[in-house]
Amino acid sequence: MALLGRAGMYDMGHAVYFGIGAYATAMLSLIWGWPVLWTIPVAIAVAAAVGAILAAPIVKLRGDYLLVVTIGFNSIFVLALNNNLLGLTGGSDGLFGIDPPSFFGHDLDSQTSLFYINWVVLALVIWLMHNLDRCALGRTYRYIKLDELAASTLGIDARQYKVGAFALSAALAAVAGALFAIQLASVSPGSFVFTESVVLFAIVLIGGQGSIPGVLLGTTMMFVLPQVFTAFAYYRYFVFGIAMILVMILRPQGIWPARKGGF
Amino acid sequence: MDTSAILLELEHLGIQFGGLRAVDDLSLKVAKGSIFGLIGPNGSGKSTVFNLITGVYRPTSGQALLHGRPISGLPPHRIAALGIRRTFQAIRLFPGMTVLENVIAGEHLQLQQRWWQGLLRTASQRREENALVDRAMDVLGMLQLGNMAHEQATALPYGAQRGVELARALVGNPEMIILDEPAAGLNDNESAALNDTIRAIRGMGVTILLVEHDMNVIMNVTDHIAVINFGRLIAEGRPGEIRSNPKVIEAYLGQDDDPPAARHDVVKPVRQEYA
Repeated sequence: MALLGRAGMYDMGHAVYFGIGAYATAMLSLIWGWPVLWTIPVAIAVAAAVGAILAAPIVKLRGDYLLVVTIGFNSIFVLALNNNLLGLTGGSDGLFGIDPPSFFGHDLDSQTSLFYINWVVLALVIWLMHNLDRCALGRTYRYIKLDELAASTLGIDARQYKVGAFALSAALAAVAGALFAIQLASVSPGSFVFTESVVLFAIVLIGGQGSIPGVLLGTTMMFVLPQVFTAFAYYRYFVFGIAMILVMILRPQGIWPARKGGF
Repeated sequence: MDTSAILLELEHLGIQFGGLRAVDDLSLKVAKGSIFGLIGPNGSGKSTVFNLITGVYRPTSGQALLHGRPISGLPPHRIAALGIRRTFQAIRLFPGMTVLENVIAGEHLQLQQRWWQGLLRTASQRREENALVDRAMDVLGMLQLGNMAHEQATALPYGAQRGVELARALVGNPEMIILDEPAAGLNDNESAALNDTIRAIRGMGVTILLVEHDMNVIMNVTDHIAVINFGRLIAEGRPGEIRSNPKVIEAYLGQDDDPPAARHDVVKPVRQEYA
């Protein structure tokens, strides 16, 4: 998602890749008995492939049109899950009873160990994103976002890079999805509906597109604050909606925008 | 003109937008290593010709050939890969990025690093990043812009922005550079300096195709000039011949525009002809 922000493409169906990651982990673990940590690379690969395949015909679309198509993808995905796609997704109940991960024979089944795994993965992802902003790939995404035509006259194949951005972004979402499935030991279609995509989208928009601290801040606002102020949790979407409107009016680049200039 | 020395050739090139023939049956030959000027009154189709050559538009008739091979119909990034770089009449720098980042964009086709090397920040990737910066700094230094490398490109004065765009085109070692009104918005001193810069670029072996209104630049630096009006070629020749060509004088005087040998010190407004 953060990645797509860098390339100037907005995906309103990102819960699809989150869901693919979660379901890949759940299905491999429950149906074929894979150890859950081994399912993560497969989840990444599957989501990246699906991301690239879905993106290929639509990357030419701009702004709102792209949004609408990705919303469509999200709806199809949830519909497919609900209808027990290939008889493997468990229908609207989903899949449950995923084994806890084990690491060199040690079961990591406590919530504490899962908590640490999540932190390690988060650190890894932040490190990758930090590097992205300092390498040719990240710069190329920004060139395409800022002026696609100028970029193309310098030899940049914008289409190829956009499909790549979708695949990479889907891969990251799949990591999150796999961890989500491990954490809850179950998956069900309700976790991957369109409104979840909206939440992801809003986090980026409010925090700051292409900004790592911005996205972390947005996530904190969306998930941690409602836990702290439980009395207000009921009004979460209401407050977030107002916050979104205010941010778009007052700080169109987000609360913590991307730093200008990489050199 | 020796045919083996032709770099770019336009063969009956034309494009029609609805009922408008913006470029009509245009045939030209640009010699390798030359400075070729394309002039014409406002709206005569000069920028459209550039957009046809660089793949931004697809011609509806005829074709452009580079080294005798057709390039029309290729997307802009493929044409860039064949060694053609351009600047834009309305400057198109990447806003909010530094001068250095803008120039490094021009090194895209020389990149060696794979995407995962950037994400993992491998040693060879870091070495390449340093080399990209060094090379961009060399080109900026050549254009006397080295001290602005870390400024935001779009916050610079107009003349400097043109220079950055030129640096971005040059850093990719092109065989040919297409300059779309490089003197637009420049003052007298800047436009005189531009003459030297253009000659210096040719000295590096780069062929230059130039659209320009500033006659001080056009008449002083070009080897060969083509004049178009209403999308058609009306005259072609050396600068001296063009200056005295009655058809050219008529085309300019018939319009509300500068006559060919006129004052050059009027700063032209930058038109947003490019959409």
